[in-house]
Amino acid sequence: MPRPPFRLAVLAAAAAAAACSLLSAARVCAQVTDVPNPVIFPDPAKFARGLYTEGEIGALIFFGAAGDRIGPGVALGARVGYDVARWLALQAHAIGSTHETKFAGMPQAGQIIQLYQATAELKLTIRIVQTSIFLEGGGGLARLSTNLLETVGDSGQRNGLTAGGGAGIDYHSLSRHFSVGVRGGYFWLRDIKGSAQVTATAYLRYTF
Amino acid sequence: MSASRAVVALVLATGCQVLNTPVYFNGPAPLETGGTDDMGNPRPDATGSVVVKYRQPSQHEQQQIDADRQRLGFNVPWLRRDRLHSEILYSVKNLDTATGVFSVSVDGANEFTKYDEGAVAAAFKAQNQDPLALPLMRGGPEMLAPGATTQGTLREDDVVEASLDLYAIGSWMAPFAAVLINRSDVNPVGLEMVPKTAIVPAMFEFDVTFSADKHMTCEFLVRVRDDDDILYQDGDSLFSPQPATYAPMVPPAQP
Repeated sequence: MPRPPFRLAVLAAAAAAAACSLLSAARVCAQVTDVPNPVIFPDPAKFARGLYTEGEIGALIFFGAAGDRIGPGVALGARVGYDVARWLALQAHAIGSTHETKFAGMPQAGQIIQLYQATAELKLTIRIVQTSIFLEGGGGLARLSTNLLETVGDSGQRNGLTAGGGAGIDYHSLSRHFSVGVRGGYFWLRDIKGSAQVTATAYLRYTF
Repeated sequence: MSASRAVVALVLATGCQVLNTPVYFNGPAPLETGGTDDMGNPRPDATGSVVVKYRQPSQHEQQQIDADRQRLGFNVPWLRRDRLHSEILYSVKNLDTATGVFSVSVDGANEFTKYDEGAVAAAFKAQNQDPLALPLMRGGPEMLAPGATTQGTLREDDVVEASLDLYAIGSWMAPFAAVLINRSDVNPVGLEMVPKTAIVPAMFEFDVTFSADKHMTCEFLVRVRDDDDILYQDGDSLFSPQPATYAPMVPPAQP
């Protein structure tokens, strides 16, 4: 039997030493008896509170007379608010949505129309750790970008009043400032004959 | 102007353009033509007009018009084609039990000249010549199945072309048939007299004539985008131009 070369013997010895070292390290770990809890329970009291802003994107659908004539559209909005208390906030909301008209068999069909709304709102919140449920409502102004509905008698003017409310769920990240959520709202449009709109959006909130 | 100011100006200008929203003007009652009426008489072509109302220029705006007129040496309009963008939307319904063919013709006026193909045809007839009926714009002819409805648009670029043709005919003695038959961006024949510096007037009156060989109805709208907010609103002083009706010079028929 040929004698193993000296270099191979050195490598084998080094491998054996490394294996012993790993085994001994594993033994050290096994000696930790108090396993750290992987779930972190944030303290909602540490979440930022006060002035906040939100950006939202979603869909807006008309109901009533306008629902037959204006299709659903993409909505983009923003809010600026202030937490008066942990459960109460005041906020200003602006949202714009763009739609295509339906008007079957009429020259008004296929036109693009936008609805802009600006409202002042009151928001009530119940927080359960990172998650909160909220109700909100208010009123303000709505403006149509064109007089198209006036040409069919569905609206007497481009500016009108709107009022309504909605609800949503907010999830606060582990960051002190950021949270995300979804909300839905139903708003009555006084100056678009017999019409209302439902908005569903997802938002990102930053509290200063 | 600093770079930052230029950027702000660009953003504002872009935003204003995006928010520049159209205003729609309803045509009169639906135009009905083709077939026969209750008395058994054939229905004639139907015509309806939309006159878009604008406000008077302010003192400053009038000074600008006067300055432009003095600089250029010829009439300058208050209603400018490059600041007012119009298009005509129409829908046609075939009420007959057979397939029919329809067309939508549009004449109209700018603040200097009114074009009426009926008046042009009458000028030819007065000289014992075959009338030449050419509208400023035309939609169709198009076939329409019984009971069917279709939509059409005479787009902003069609109105741009018609406005140039009307200006050339009315203010620069362009041969009307040449400019109306040819699209100026393809063949500018007849427009040689129109100066390159001319400010082309916008059309403010749209006279829509609907013709069909079967019983059909047509509804239409005029859509206007107004860059300078000069559309008439309550309380404004109304701009009331009195354009001259165009009549071509037709030589007498040769015996």
